[in-house]
Amino acid sequence: MSSTSAPLSTPLAARAGWGARLAGSPTLRFIVRRLLAAIPVLLGVTFLSFVVMNSLPGDAAQELLGAQATPSEIHQLQVKLGLDQPFLTRYWDWLHNAVIGHLGHSLSSGQSVGSILVSDLPVTFELVALAFLFSLVLAVPIALLCARKPNGVTDRLSMMFSMAGLSIAPYVLALLLVFVFAVKLNVLPAIGWVPPGQSLSQNIEHLILPAVSIGLGLLCFYTRLLRADLLEQMQGEDYVVTARAKGVRPWRVLTRHALRNSLFGLITVVALNLGTLLGFTVVIEDIFGIPGIGHELLQAIDNRDVPVIEGIVFVFAVIVVLSNLAADVLYSVLDPRIRYGRPTE
Amino acid sequence: MSDAIRLSRLAAIAACLFLIAAVVSACGSSKSSSTSASSASSSSGTTSSSSSGATGTPKPGGSLTVLELGGYAGAWPTGLDPATNVNGAADQDQMNSIFGQLFQLAEGSKLVPDLANSATPSAGGKTWTIALHPGLKFSDGTPLDAAAVVSNWKRDLASPCTCKPILPPVKSITAPNPTTVQISMAAPDGAFQNQLLVANLNWIASPTALKKMGEQAFKLMPVGAGPFMVVSDTLSNTLVLKKNPSYWQSGRPYLDNLTFKATADDEAALEALQSGGAQAYDGMATPSLVSTYKSHFTTTEQPATSPYDIQLNTAAPPFNNIKARQAIYYATDGALIDQKLFGNQFQVVQGFTAPGGLFYYPNVPGYLTYDLNKAKSLVKEIGGLNVNFFTLGSPVNQNFMVALQQLWKQAGINTSIHLYSLAGLIQQFDTKTWQAALQTAGAWDPAAGVGLGFRFLSQSPFSGVHDPKLDALILGGQGVVDPSGRDKVYQQAAQYIAKNAYGPFLFPLASWNVAQHGVVGPGLTTVIPSVVVNTPPLWQSVGYTK
Amino acid sequence: MADLPSDLVVAGVAPRADEAAAAKLGGRWRGSLGVIVPAVMVAFIFGLCFIWPLIGPVPSPTGGTILDSNLAAFSSGHFLGTDAVGNDEWARLLYGGRASLEIALAVQAIGLVLGGLIGAVAAYLGGLRDATIMRLLDVVIAFPGLVLAVAIAQGLGPSKLHTIWALCFFSVPATARIARAATLRVREQTFMVAARLSGTSFPRMLLGHIAPNVVPQLLTYALLGMGIIMILEGALSFVGLGVPPPAPSWGNMIAQGQSTLSAQPRYVFLPSAALFITVVSLNLLGEGLRSRWGAQ
Repeated sequence: MSSTSAPLSTPLAARAGWGARLAGSPTLRFIVRRLLAAIPVLLGVTFLSFVVMNSLPGDAAQELLGAQATPSEIHQLQVKLGLDQPFLTRYWDWLHNAVIGHLGHSLSSGQSVGSILVSDLPVTFELVALAFLFSLVLAVPIALLCARKPNGVTDRLSMMFSMAGLSIAPYVLALLLVFVFAVKLNVLPAIGWVPPGQSLSQNIEHLILPAVSIGLGLLCFYTRLLRADLLEQMQGEDYVVTARAKGVRPWRVLTRHALRNSLFGLITVVALNLGTLLGFTVVIEDIFGIPGIGHELLQAIDNRDVPVIEGIVFVFAVIVVLSNLAADVLYSVLDPRIRYGRPTE
Repeated sequence: MSDAIRLSRLAAIAACLFLIAAVVSACGSSKSSSTSASSASSSSGTTSSSSSGATGTPKPGGSLTVLELGGYAGAWPTGLDPATNVNGAADQDQMNSIFGQLFQLAEGSKLVPDLANSATPSAGGKTWTIALHPGLKFSDGTPLDAAAVVSNWKRDLASPCTCKPILPPVKSITAPNPTTVQISMAAPDGAFQNQLLVANLNWIASPTALKKMGEQAFKLMPVGAGPFMVVSDTLSNTLVLKKNPSYWQSGRPYLDNLTFKATADDEAALEALQSGGAQAYDGMATPSLVSTYKSHFTTTEQPATSPYDIQLNTAAPPFNNIKARQAIYYATDGALIDQKLFGNQFQVVQGFTAPGGLFYYPNVPGYLTYDLNKAKSLVKEIGGLNVNFFTLGSPVNQNFMVALQQLWKQAGINTSIHLYSLAGLIQQFDTKTWQAALQTAGAWDPAAGVGLGFRFLSQSPFSGVHDPKLDALILGGQGVVDPSGRDKVYQQAAQYIAKNAYGPFLFPLASWNVAQHGVVGPGLTTVIPSVVVNTPPLWQSVGYTK
Repeated sequence: MADLPSDLVVAGVAPRADEAAAAKLGGRWRGSLGVIVPAVMVAFIFGLCFIWPLIGPVPSPTGGTILDSNLAAFSSGHFLGTDAVGNDEWARLLYGGRASLEIALAVQAIGLVLGGLIGAVAAYLGGLRDATIMRLLDVVIAFPGLVLAVAIAQGLGPSKLHTIWALCFFSVPATARIARAATLRVREQTFMVAARLSGTSFPRMLLGHIAPNVVPQLLTYALLGMGIIMILEGALSFVGLGVPPPAPSWGNMIAQGQSTLSAQPRYVFLPSAALFITVVSLNLLGEGLRSRWGAQ
């Protein structure tokens, strides 16, 4: 892949070697090219959201003052918030500040958007991380058990339940879980958020139901994916045949080799799913009263709080772009077709 | 048998089992809630003032978590500074706990002193003199004296916020001595003391803390002289308070810790209460959930004060024609909607006042009551009637609108209904060609809060009526100091509205305050009228009885 | 470069070795049953929602009066009861299913045609034009659909049409990526090169050569995606978009019923169960078709 064949004997050649290695590596070139392409994408996304918010009826001043405001009061607040400036001026103001890291202040609370992001992102992150943890920790052993005995009892039951789990809407699942575990059985809380600094055990307790609501669908999806990939390897790959011929037990082959290869594929899928996942997280945060980035976004839209929306949209877009890039890079690096040198471009 | 078939069959069986389980649980749970509701010992019906446990004296100590409806009382996006909390009227629970109040509304519709002792009108109501409690201190140790009140009031009236009261032009605010505040206005205001209740003038912030922290920090961690102090504040999500040791009333507050949490809706609040995540809920407003609530918790209906009314735009067709307006009156059967949608829990009214508020009169002479035949003939006479009808979106409003649509259809009126968000609603009013809107009008005192003027004064951008005679009556009701004098004027106003068919009134929607058994407090487990929408309990007197 | 394998795998349209093998073992007859059983279920659901209300004794879903408000199940004339304003729940369930299915079908159809075209054209053109199109699609993918949905709901007002637009936002770029990946795979095959060299025009190439190789995968993907779109429609109802009441859709029935779940659980459970069964059937059908076509 990389041109390590450049001779490093002379100083000039040494420098050329490094640069050549860098310029020569297709993966690195790919990454740089995609990062550069990401800039217009981010510009496009933030501009688009500005346009969308601008086309909505009402603005922050009106939303803040409520239904009883007189037009003059609204105008007074609009001037104070800078909302009377023309559209492009406002976008440019936001943009040239955002580029240096000043994301502005919330029109409703006056808090800096940066501080809002810093306090809300970890909350959502923790929720999503717990959901992933739940799904991956269970998906791996279940998929292994299924792949060990394809079409056995475990396999068929798992496939059946995972099909059911995939088909439940996360918000319906959330309602069901709350009904059973919080209301009827009283073992888990129905709403709320406890900061981990205050009590880690309570923090986790409050996040269990929301994480499972999101994680169950993921669990089912990943189980099926992992199982299929494992089976494909067990039935197709040469090294498996060799190992079996050598007398290595199937279970060992599964866990030692097949699993490692499959996990990479799984991780790329995880990365690609991030975008849609953030969407469902919003509804779940709303149902459970979790003060995360999704909840913040909904409120900001209601309040027409454009700086906050821009900040969140920007962060979302960065996450989606980066995770897509990571997935593509990982997959290209690990795709056996590319590993073994078949040309794809 | 192929795996695919087995799989499909098993999946189908699982789906059927799920369906059966769902149906069984659905039937089961609705049955259980109805049986336990019928066996509940607390009184069902409109008011349940002294239900068992509601009159015990609380013991000191304990922590209470109170839920507030997200988007309304559970929203404080602009912080908790009295001068800039645009949601102050909805956030009364939070504001009262931190700042206390100059005056508060207690049982029996009585205005009771808290931080202030008395309010005395003079000069025919143009000047009001407030006497403060002596020796008051904010929780940061600085004195709450007349100077502090004056600086607060000046700041409040100068900020662009609808949280300030609609007063006649203010000439001066002075502090003749450390415990007396005087406010002088250009015209008499008979409702001044009542207007304090729902305005930010009632909450006094510590000027020292404000200067030291700066406005931005203060709005997030405000300092007042109320029964509780701020520990932490996550805007529009969680507000954690603890007992203020230097609160002026000895022995109060009972609670050591008070936490306010936002909840998504009444159903989520019910689940949170049932799972032990909270012990009280202020402002439950879904009538169909009342019996479920009552079967688990002390649920107290608070008398409502803002009746629903159907605003008709007299400046544009079709309702510039009085006959069309009268047809709407005749075609509206408020009692039937009350019965079918709300279980007969509310009181149908004919004016802008309600049983829980001041100046209530059940019968307004000249009010056109339900008469389907008259409605039909009027509609025929004017050659048909098509109405664009809108309101603020909410599940309760949704059903309300559909019910009205069905009723009006019987009289030959074709209605198209629209539910809007706040911004959309304002946009509709801006068009000037809107036709009809379902709104609430009036308040505990018609001159305070989202009042009468808002819906019926010519100069209000949200009014469908532009009648100087009505303006004079409405403003006149505010300008008289003597309550019986105000009463006379308001009665005339109600009759005038009825005579001109400016808009039928329906009934006020009450809200319920909910507490776990063993928690009591005024306004929480006893009845106090709501000043705006919800009744804020007097948190300093709320506590556990065991 | 690497959009090719990851997209197809993620979408689940790359046929799995195990399913293909199993189907081969069982022979074509057995493989067909995996398609027939869920197909029958799907047909039954469609028939119930689209045809039965036209020929059977199903009242109108929005014609009730409040005189019949909140009737319990098994009341006379309303075997599933009525909602708060007197509409028959059985009718609401059927017509709601019809609305949800119509939306899902429309979204997937538009996604198939529009997304398929965009992806195929991008892959065919290659080079800078391909990259530009893909970056534009990236903008759409990275834009939070929720903001758009709420904006549409508040700006244009909720309606079935607006819901379809908002959901196309999700389906078109995704389908485009699949179509592009599949077209890339096909592009370098010998018969394609031959066709190009012999000067075949692009539309003919598209219809005659690209489409037959790409459409089966797209169709499978569209079918598998219908379940997600129906679930997303429900999520949109939670934030204010979706079919505006009183017209029912399973999504808005769940969102509306959720606010009185403790008092009237059946308003949520009935549409939830119906949605679940439908999504399971669609998923089974999609999987069955995929393993069938993979075996060929």
